[in-house]
Amino acid sequence: MLRGSLAIWQRDMLVLRRNMVSELVAVVAYPLTIYLAFGIGMQGYIGLVEGVPYSLFIAPGLITMTAVSAAYNESVWSLWFHRRVQFTVESYRVTPITVSEIVIAKILTGFTHGIIKGCAVGLVIFAITPFRFPLEHLLHYLLFLIPGSAFFSCAGVISGTIMDKPETIGKVEAVLVMPLIFMSGLFFPLSSYPQSVIFWVRLLPTTALFEGARKALVAGDMMTLSVLQVLLSALLTFAASVYIFRFKMSE
Amino acid sequence: MPTASIITHSLTKLYGSLTALDSFDLEVDQGSIFGMLGPNGAGKTTLIRILTTLMRQSSGDASIEGLDTLRSGREIRCMIGVVSQENSLDRYLTARENLELHARLHGMDKRLYKQRIDELLELMGLAGRQKDFPDTFSGGMQRRLVIARALVHQPRVLFLDEPTTGLDPQSRRVVWEYVRSMAGSMTIFLTTHYLEEAEQLCDRIAIMDHGRLIAIGSTQELKDRLSGATVYEIEFAGQEADRYTTLLGSMPCVVNIRRLGGKVTVTLECWECLSEIVTALNGAPVRRISLQERTLEDVFISLTGDKVRE
Repeated sequence: MLRGSLAIWQRDMLVLRRNMVSELVAVVAYPLTIYLAFGIGMQGYIGLVEGVPYSLFIAPGLITMTAVSAAYNESVWSLWFHRRVQFTVESYRVTPITVSEIVIAKILTGFTHGIIKGCAVGLVIFAITPFRFPLEHLLHYLLFLIPGSAFFSCAGVISGTIMDKPETIGKVEAVLVMPLIFMSGLFFPLSSYPQSVIFWVRLLPTTALFEGARKALVAGDMMTLSVLQVLLSALLTFAASVYIFRFKMSE
Repeated sequence: MPTASIITHSLTKLYGSLTALDSFDLEVDQGSIFGMLGPNGAGKTTLIRILTTLMRQSSGDASIEGLDTLRSGREIRCMIGVVSQENSLDRYLTARENLELHARLHGMDKRLYKQRIDELLELMGLAGRQKDFPDTFSGGMQRRLVIARALVHQPRVLFLDEPTTGLDPQSRRVVWEYVRSMAGSMTIFLTTHYLEEAEQLCDRIAIMDHGRLIAIGSTQELKDRLSGATVYEIEFAGQEADRYTTLLGSMPCVVNIRRLGGKVTVTLECWECLSEIVTALNGAPVRRISLQERTLEDVFISLTGDKVRE
């Protein structure tokens, strides 16, 4: 049933392999700059946050941010480009594969980009900084990273499906996606928020993702509820993205 | 008697209050090259999108090779090839990879599609460029690659939606050659704005406008549909054209007359009126009388009007 998805995903991976070096350089540069500027540069001024040095506090969030941003960006731009510029989605649709196979391929591609690029940033941070963690922490962390990347990949597919203009995609990213990432405890603990706001912030899947991922990697904490929250969000956005894409294609 | 490959019956498509297809009835014979002409917004693309299962009709039926487009979309897509108006080549894949991806989407076996792709690249004159990216190709080469992609899985029906738009005359003729070479082996449904293209390639031609089929037949049959009026051009020697223009213009059988220099173009009610003209011109210094051939463009304009469509 997923023959079409596999063929399109393999096509996307072939293109990624061809551009791997330039893709990774571009994707690693941004979080690494933030890490060096804030983690190292501000460390002396900030000191310990939740019992760990600031550079350790932000490292998991930066890896997660890289992964989910890459997943979102790949899905949204790839789908928009293939639908509106290159018309390849149209050429797929006149073959025997289903519309669902096309959208699942694009979700898989975004997810794969997220995981690869998140790992690349993690390896670079691991190589050039004193940031270390036990291996079992990594397994806990992956329980967040995998559904988190899937969630953002599905969100990207929804954006790439409903938005026809590139400037709208840019605006949504600036107004919605990046604030959701940055305000979810990536650079500061949630306790910094006023008490009245914390309940609402915790409802956001991005908060569960970033806070849970950090605690999993730094302290080895397993926040089961947070994992479930991210997982449920990923499943819901998956169903929504398939439905919305099918609806759009039937117009 | 040939069986129909494409059939539509009362096919209607509404976009809100706009009727894009209006009770459209059509039959296209198996193995024929069928041309669909119509001005912008006539409904050609809507028709192709329904026939290729990309869009659902509001009412009516459409079938390809006996399969209903609503119920058997997947089976139909297995047997059709589509060359769309847009250049939908994947610019990040080489020419060969473009064809391979398409073969895989059709579920073809690797050994089978390797050989088929070799044949198609050779046929389309692209074998030497198979490892190059489409962006480096000329417009004509890109078009040939799109056609090759549509043929990878050996379709029984090929839809060509304005396949030569934007190509120079040489490239257009090359594409025509390929289309002609495929005649008989599959049904070809072609839409085009180039009337010469339809005339050169198609066994039968339909003209549609405002979502309706307004004429169908061979090129000659369509030309014959025009009123019986025939047009002759008469070339005079010396300065006599002016005098004979007045004389011919006064004859009841002359519908219209125009003079340009020594040449007079007369439109007659019917071809039988020619004998009256010849009699009237007895002794006149006539160099030549020639019949002005009616073109498909005359038919098209007479049926769809000469107003520009936006």
